[in-house]
Amino acid sequence: MLNKLVRWSRIKSPWILHLNSGACNACDIEIVAALTPRFDVERFGILLKATPRHADVIVASGPVTRQMRERLIRIYEQTPDPKFVIAVGACAMSGCVYRGSYNIMGGIDQVIPVNIYVPGCPARPDAIIDGVVKLLGKL
Amino acid sequence: MKFQIPIGPQHPALKEPISLRMTVDGEIITDADIRLGYNHRGVEKVAEAKNWIQNIYLVERICGICSHSHSTCYVQGVEKLMELAPPKRGMYIRYLVSELERVHSHLLWLGVAGHEAGFDSFFMYVWRDREIVMDLLELISGNRVHYAINTVGGVRRDLDEGQKAKILEGVATLRKRSEYYLHIGANEPSFVARIAGVGFLSLEKAIALCAVGPTARASGWPRDVRKEDPYAVYDEMDFEVGTADSCDVLGRVVVRVKELLESYKICEQILHKLPPGDIAVKAPRKAKPGEVVSRYEAPRGENIHYIKSNGTDKPERLKVRAPTLGNYPATVEMLKSGFIADIPLIFASIDPCICCAERAVSLVNIRSGEETIVRLSDLRRRSIEQHKNAPPKRNAVWPF
Amino acid sequence: MRDADIIERIQRELGGKVAEIANPAPRRFYLKILPPDLVPATALLRDRLGMTHLSTISGVDKGETFEILYHFSIPEADLNLRTEIPKDKPHVASITPIIPGAILYEREIQEMLGLTVDNIPDGRRLLLPDDWPDGQFPLRKDWKHVRPAEVIPGGKS
Repeated sequence: MLNKLVRWSRIKSPWILHLNSGACNACDIEIVAALTPRFDVERFGILLKATPRHADVIVASGPVTRQMRERLIRIYEQTPDPKFVIAVGACAMSGCVYRGSYNIMGGIDQVIPVNIYVPGCPARPDAIIDGVVKLLGKL
Repeated sequence: MKFQIPIGPQHPALKEPISLRMTVDGEIITDADIRLGYNHRGVEKVAEAKNWIQNIYLVERICGICSHSHSTCYVQGVEKLMELAPPKRGMYIRYLVSELERVHSHLLWLGVAGHEAGFDSFFMYVWRDREIVMDLLELISGNRVHYAINTVGGVRRDLDEGQKAKILEGVATLRKRSEYYLHIGANEPSFVARIAGVGFLSLEKAIALCAVGPTARASGWPRDVRKEDPYAVYDEMDFEVGTADSCDVLGRVVVRVKELLESYKICEQILHKLPPGDIAVKAPRKAKPGEVVSRYEAPRGENIHYIKSNGTDKPERLKVRAPTLGNYPATVEMLKSGFIADIPLIFASIDPCICCAERAVSLVNIRSGEETIVRLSDLRRRSIEQHKNAPPKRNAVWPF
Repeated sequence: MRDADIIERIQRELGGKVAEIANPAPRRFYLKILPPDLVPATALLRDRLGMTHLSTISGVDKGETFEILYHFSIPEADLNLRTEIPKDKPHVASITPIIPGAILYEREIQEMLGLTVDNIPDGRRLLLPDDWPDGQFPLRKDWKHVRPAEVIPGGKS
């Protein structure tokens, strides 16, 4: 019974943590723009949280730089289970234009397991909302 | 006793990771240290392996907010190396997108500044209006960010009469809204009092530390690359350079609002004077050996690219210095003798484009030597609480 | 000031310190200066011509030597100072006593090209990560990066 309640609240109101692991900032501005009145992702109950310990979903963007690698793993471990990861943008999927650079590991899935990939360079806010809703449908 | 506090690489306020270690004594910051490198992607090395056209798309993605400024600075330089003269119509379209990008960037920043000062409804209003500019840019180029409208020798897409009319209409709406925000901002005493006197940077220090852009212009430094080194279209346009004398965050807000209003003027002039003709000339595959220095006034300051070619179709060396990197020594200076609670505001006032240079904030407690990670959202909450009941500062008045 | 006036003024102020001046395009000047004259020439240009704004410092690996360019600007022109130092003794003097804002740019060329800036007030790494191995200088022409094999989760590699 309690499980059902918890699951219902997780679907109805996922709290997200926004993480930038070395991106050019375009995807991050689009993620923040998803909160603004035009796209308004808060109507899905999604709240942008400051700390990994409160978050259900990690929304990550950017190719992983060597410096950010341990921080990314540490944040992933600090997030309580069950957790989901959304990789936003072409950089988070495979490195985009920076593939082959000496400081880039590749996509985010080289470091932490990813559940949803949202393509685009940058991913439009509509696409990000679509990705989040698809994730909620899978839960 | 002195504390040193680290504000860790991931924090919600600044969308990008950067590390600042600040040495504090009680509430006052005595020293600050910036740790870059979280966002270092090795673009300069990757650029040596791609040809001139592929590099346009690489250079564009150095930054998401000022992407057209990097792309234009690069393409200006390559055109000089190849001795190409792009047609007038192409140049006008290119710099129209530049000015629209400046509008979008300043509106973004105004929203963030309002958010940092605790004025969240202002943030939502401004970002709603920013969507008008995003729609105009999408109309011209097909994408909201990373417009990819530049090519070596001109631009890739043309404007027709319907698009022109829509842009003029959008700019007129934005101008009305911006003047409304100006009115609100000037008449909201708590907002003005919150930002006046914070983040002081004197003119001598700004010159010695080579600060650029609105950060330096708010201290009275009157230089702007568009006036000094007028590339292409700017010597035919009539506009003024915004400066302020108060050397603090209020001055920087004033300078950016002035630039916003001037940008609307420039956009309208460009559209009214748009000449007919071609939009691009054909560029050769290889560039002659040589070197070129290309400077550009991005929304955040002076952007400089140094390109060296050795006669092949790939650059020998591409050096990029984005404007935010030039403002770092000035930021360290501003943070000294400031309060901890003012860190988010001071940092936001230089309009940091961390992807142009990455950072996180950490404060180290000198007294006990222990490190505490303070999130910028906590700092912001603390600063809003602290200043809620403070009396308004006597000389905090909007200058115009 | 026209370009010819600027050339004449520079030659008068710096005298023998500048080896050659090139003016390939309007408002662009490239001054070649020998390494021992770098700091005195910068000081003279700052005091006599008001050249206080340093935009950036670029380094180019030319095989046997490193060429370092200091990009300055005054309202009338852009002055680029060029020096060359040999690769087997890569030392160049720091200009931070004259232009304090040069510190971050000098740290960057130090770590990217592997040269040493003498008397630099703070010589730590700027951009490369903390666990970067010593002795690897990414912007040298002979440094190549071999990408490790990628693992694609759930699929073929």
